[in-house]
Amino acid sequence: MDEKDEAHEPLDLVRLCIDEFVVVKLRGDRELKGRLHAYDSHCNLILGEVEESIYVAEEEDEGEAPRVRTVKKQSEMLFVRGDSVVLIAPSEGVKQ
Amino acid sequence: MSTNGESPKEEPKADPRDPSGFLSEIIGNAVTVKLNSGIVYKGALQSVDGYMNIALENCREVADGRVIRNYGDAFVRGNNVTYISADSI
Amino acid sequence: MSFFGFDTNLPRDRGHSTNAPGFGHHDAFAGLGGGEDGDAIDFEETYDGLGDQLDETDDAFNDDTFGGPTTQQGVGKDFDFAGETSKIAGTIHEEQMLFQARQPPSQQKPSIPYASKPTRSGYENYNNPDYIPQLEARADIWGLKPKQSAAAAKQPEFEAELQPLPQQSAGAPAKKMMSLEEVEAMMRGQPVQEAPTPMIPQALPQSFGQQPVPYPQQVPHGQPQYPGMPGQFAPHILQRPQQPHLQGHPSRQQPIHAELPAQPVQAQQAQHPTILQRQRQQQPAASQPQRQIPQQAQNQRPPSQPRQILQNPNRLSGHGQPMMQQAHPGPRGSFPGHARGPSFPGMVITHPEQLMALSKEEREAYLEEDAKRAKRNHKIFELSKDNGLMTPQDKNFITRIQLQQLMSATGNLDEKSLEAQIAEDFYYQVFSSIRGAPRQNPHQPANQFAQTYLFQTNSRFGPRRHGRGGDNHMQRMEQQVQRAVEAAKAKPKGKQLVIEGSLGKISFSNSKTPRPLLNLKRPETGDKIKQNKSLVADRKDTLRNIEAVYMTLMHLEDHDRTRPPTITEGSQPEAIQAHMEWRTKTEALRKKLWQDIKIMEPINPQSTTPHPFISILSFAKGKKAIQRIFAHIDEQERITVVTMIVVHLDQLPVVSHAVATQDEPLSASMREEVELFLATVIPPLFAHISESPLNIIIGLLGLVLDRTNMHVVARSKVGMSLLTILISRAELLKQSAPKIDSADWEHWTELYNRLFDVVEPVLPVIFPGNVNDTDDMYVWQFLASMGVGASPEQQQRLVLGVKDRVMETVTVSKALPAEMAGARLANVNLFMRAIGLDVELLG
Repeated sequence: MDEKDEAHEPLDLVRLCIDEFVVVKLRGDRELKGRLHAYDSHCNLILGEVEESIYVAEEEDEGEAPRVRTVKKQSEMLFVRGDSVVLIAPSEGVKQ
Repeated sequence: MSTNGESPKEEPKADPRDPSGFLSEIIGNAVTVKLNSGIVYKGALQSVDGYMNIALENCREVADGRVIRNYGDAFVRGNNVTYISADSI
Repeated sequence: MSFFGFDTNLPRDRGHSTNAPGFGHHDAFAGLGGGEDGDAIDFEETYDGLGDQLDETDDAFNDDTFGGPTTQQGVGKDFDFAGETSKIAGTIHEEQMLFQARQPPSQQKPSIPYASKPTRSGYENYNNPDYIPQLEARADIWGLKPKQSAAAAKQPEFEAELQPLPQQSAGAPAKKMMSLEEVEAMMRGQPVQEAPTPMIPQALPQSFGQQPVPYPQQVPHGQPQYPGMPGQFAPHILQRPQQPHLQGHPSRQQPIHAELPAQPVQAQQAQHPTILQRQRQQQPAASQPQRQIPQQAQNQRPPSQPRQILQNPNRLSGHGQPMMQQAHPGPRGSFPGHARGPSFPGMVITHPEQLMALSKEEREAYLEEDAKRAKRNHKIFELSKDNGLMTPQDKNFITRIQLQQLMSATGNLDEKSLEAQIAEDFYYQVFSSIRGAPRQNPHQPANQFAQTYLFQTNSRFGPRRHGRGGDNHMQRMEQQVQRAVEAAKAKPKGKQLVIEGSLGKISFSNSKTPRPLLNLKRPETGDKIKQNKSLVADRKDTLRNIEAVYMTLMHLEDHDRTRPPTITEGSQPEAIQAHMEWRTKTEALRKKLWQDIKIMEPINPQSTTPHPFISILSFAKGKKAIQRIFAHIDEQERITVVTMIVVHLDQLPVVSHAVATQDEPLSASMREEVELFLATVIPPLFAHISESPLNIIIGLLGLVLDRTNMHVVARSKVGMSLLTILISRAELLKQSAPKIDSADWEHWTELYNRLFDVVEPVLPVIFPGNVNDTDDMYVWQFLASMGVGASPEQQQRLVLGVKDRVMETVTVSKALPAEMAGARLANVNLFMRAIGLDVELLG
């Protein structure tokens, strides 16, 4: 297992995030931030210490831009089914 | 029997004319990845795999032309990808 | 009687002109001129007899109207240029000016006029009762090509400048017709002067000045000052032929037009010369500007024909044919069905001179083109004569049969009998089945053609005529299917069928390996990836290192589980062999692990980035790996690890970023990191240090003092813990093994004093939080360990340094519940008792 082969595949990036905090963008304007415990090639994930953010676009009166309300949920541990995953990023480098 | 005149001997080399070849060629380049949702990610292409999963370095999330977020690295699940485009160097 | 005395047989009955290319078309001429060339196509033979239908009743007056054939010299100059016609010209001029004003000067390309051509019907002339259409008729009998129009345009152009004198043409009408030789001779004479004529519009018409037109008004020969006038002829000739261009040979025109860039060959041009002519007459000086007008205005020219042209039916004619008119003057304009313009593609060159006027190359090209077209038409005809014999279904059926035959091409070769051959012949089978009767089962799906086929051969011919053959095919079919099935079975059950470079593989996915969409070829090296080194890349490198460490660790641990039974003296050689192999593998893995942790990477003090091994420790999973790594490395390697950590103590994030103050306590995540470090890294270190001899301790403490920032180390929990471990181990050694070399002790004492001196100034801030921060036991432990080894004087300094904290804690404890107070006071007592005191004494 030469470490040079490691990053030649996108999922290796996820592998590097194991045991690290990751930001996971999901379909449906959801986002998870938690410690990545496990993943597989479908991007099924097991996350610990999770904070889930749900972005809800609130319909405002006409003329006003829709405001985004964020609903947050905490979970000790989550299993994320891979087909809803859009993006996985180490939370380290995430800058809003 | 090849009717298209392409010799199979050339094969192991990534041919930039086919999708895989193109993707192999642009590894390391700055790319724009558009997702089905319309969100665009820009960054340096670290790797692509057969599922069109993409790893981007120094990734910026762009919506409506504005960078709304920065990721150091980002893994984009391939099924969401609309296209991968190499930014002009 | 035929108007021209032509044979009234339709040319189509005679087939193609076998004489084309070449000068076959001259024969028509020759025939007219006297028919000397009897062997060539005679115009008489090719004439379609349309003339028979002409109304010739008033032809007798033609000479009155147009002047006799020999009256050219007498043609007066008294026609009314300034009258009606000039009014028209004035109108047209106005329109031109208007057009110019509206439109930027167009760069007229030769082809453009053609585009506008369709606006003309080409039949305008027929409004004129005097119009004689057949002069241009039957161009196809000469195999003449649309190009002629261009040629015609060209010819006049040449002649215009070079042959202003009309002798020839004047003579021509007098005679009935020039012979081919004569015409040729004339043409040869002209090309000599074929200097590229400037494409001035009025140059074109001049050629027609020589024409033997009996129309009195025209008299062009004597009036070169009206060069525009004759131009009306050219357009007429051209106009008709162009229609075929549009139909079938648009591309062919290009080359010729290209030669006449400024002078688009177009019917409408007829109008311009007229205009110019008028204006010249009226104001000759203004001719220069006027010249450009026609070209620019051509596109917008209304399709209407200038009246002048309409009045002059002869203008259509070239050299030869006007004579015919004169011979048989008669109003032909009324001829009803003159639809040949558009419908006869070949009806282009009405006058061989037109062709002759072409340069040799052009002529050859033209004729070649002509021959090609004739050949192609013939071919098309040949090919198309069987059109519709087979329906698409039939074709489909045959295709399938062919495929089937390919499939069963492996048939026995020993069946040589004719019958067998016929039975083998799918084409024959199909042929006979189609010929014999409609398919027996027409509703049978086409895709079951094989069955259809077999069915037919069996029932219709099989048993009776090709009994064996039918069975044979049935068997073959079965075999074929069997073979196909077997081949499919035998196909390697590979997980994926990869088509190189394709978008994806045909693969059999399962839950573990979903189906990839792309078949990517990976570059052999990651050089491109490595190019852009950055902090991110460093971080990722470290993560990669950690992954590699874990991978090796897991291999090692997995390998450990396969440890063969311990070998004894009586072990089988195989067992011994297996054990040896196992140990070799273990050794290799250990070696790899040692490399993976990057601990032997050279230390570069100047480097801005931490040592890779230290970087590994900055990740939680890296910290967690240490304990497992320690299980697989030997004593010496452990010393190396400990030394490495100690030397870089102040570079560990858990040290350098974990210096808390009362105002700025550690973040939760950092506290977590610190705790993790203490829980994962310190224990193996502690375990190792607690078994280390004094010289190791001395060495380690010396490294800390020499290589690290003690103010940082001493204020961090991890640093303090490590110092505590070192000092307490030394104290233990001092108490348990007093016989150790006194030199070492002296060395130790020296180090201790150095440490004490470094630590003493930070004593007041050694506690990370205020007194209510309960997480201070490690500080009391450190103080205790320091106190144990301290001299009485140092102990006093210690007490002075932390006295306030001691008193505060005691005070706070009094307000706390007994349990918590006891814990806190117990912590303080760790230190107090180390220096021979007790909190009780303070009480």
